[in-house]
Amino acid sequence: MRKKELKLVVTFHTTADAMAMEKACKAHQAPGRLIPVPRAISAGCGLSWCTELSDRECIEKVMKEVGIEQEAIHECMV
Amino acid sequence: MNFSDSKKKLALAGVICGIVAAILALQGNPGNMAFCIACFIRDTAGAMKLHNAAVVQYARPETIGIVIGAFAIAVATKEYRSTAGSSPMIRFVLGMIIMIGSLVFLGCPLRMVIRMSAGDLNAWVALIGFVGGVATGAFFLKKGFSLGRAHETNAMSGAVAPVLMLGIFVLSVATTLFAVSESGPGSMHAPIILSLIGGLIVGAVAQKSRMCFAGSIRDIILIRSFDLISVIGGLFVVMLIFNIATGHFSLSFAGQPIAHSQHLWNILGMYAVGFAAVLAGGCPLRQLVLAGQGSSDAGVTVLGLFAGAAVAHNFGLAASAAAAATDTTEAVAGGPATAGKVAVIICIIVCFIIAAFNKRQAAK
Repeated sequence: MRKKELKLVVTFHTTADAMAMEKACKAHQAPGRLIPVPRAISAGCGLSWCTELSDRECIEKVMKEVGIEQEAIHECMV
Repeated sequence: MNFSDSKKKLALAGVICGIVAAILALQGNPGNMAFCIACFIRDTAGAMKLHNAAVVQYARPETIGIVIGAFAIAVATKEYRSTAGSSPMIRFVLGMIIMIGSLVFLGCPLRMVIRMSAGDLNAWVALIGFVGGVATGAFFLKKGFSLGRAHETNAMSGAVAPVLMLGIFVLSVATTLFAVSESGPGSMHAPIILSLIGGLIVGAVAQKSRMCFAGSIRDIILIRSFDLISVIGGLFVVMLIFNIATGHFSLSFAGQPIAHSQHLWNILGMYAVGFAAVLAGGCPLRQLVLAGQGSSDAGVTVLGLFAGAAVAHNFGLAASAAAAATDTTEAVAGGPATAGKVAVIICIIVCFIIAAFNKRQAAK
């Protein structure tokens, strides 16, 4: 089984925001991938963006540029 | 217990729900139905006289238990969040569509899996439609479909759905206000207390595991995640073992309880269900759980399920089950009448309209 690591997890208000995040990150060549929202974070059934802790600034910049509002940014074991 | 930190635990959640369904089936719930959310909401709507189909009227404690169980566990684990405001009337319509599609197929996604586990090949055919519907919904999600975000609201708003469900339960056991079927599926049920406990368990486990039939396929399509399908897999395996052990497994199209073999309409019915469920953010079971944990939007979707059940039976949209010939009656092929077929087509068109015209707005 893969060992869990501390990651940066961005949650969104809607699934559409998560999908827009994937598109924007691909376009801007920003790192990360979509994952189901980790159970430790919220009871929602949506998607979240997972990346390395060190990518925080890069990710926030992309979100600001394309107009994606996060619900929250967490650091958690994924 | 955290059910979602590994696939094994998620599968365990499905196993628990499967055991509950198997016990309820043994104790009297209708064949291959055990724990069908659409059927049980339809029965409850009938008990409340929202429709007059005499054979499907019974306030099912299971659905009531799911909402209250999800509410209790969400409050206990501090996950209760009262939210509202994500296009409620569109969700109401999607709830109606989910119910109408389900009643044309004769079962929600949960019953589809239960029927599949009993060897009902009609359900395997319907799975094609369900997966197609979910895939269509996922396509529109990728294209930017959104019903808008929900906002935090007064804590009491989210508690209305569990309280209303409790009210229905109290009225059903303490008064004679509600109708109760004397024959047909509505007359077949496990003891009330057992049904309620079963519902509470499934509600709590489904809340913790985020069990969702539409979501599990959506996640596979969108992000190649097999987490949620593990829950469904667990449930399927338990019901398969139960059906084989009790002699209820029969691999066939004909002779299945409360089913029909109109393949096109089984496919299209479940296509509408899968499509609408992805647009609404969850299958009927998930809507009950979300309503329990404080989502007024899901609560409105559940109201749509009730309205859909009333419409389906009052206007003859629900399919009839196939029946073999007896000494006194001829064989019945079953399936939806013309009105039901037209309704499914309209439902699918409405889903496309909703999917195409509700787009995500970029944050300013």
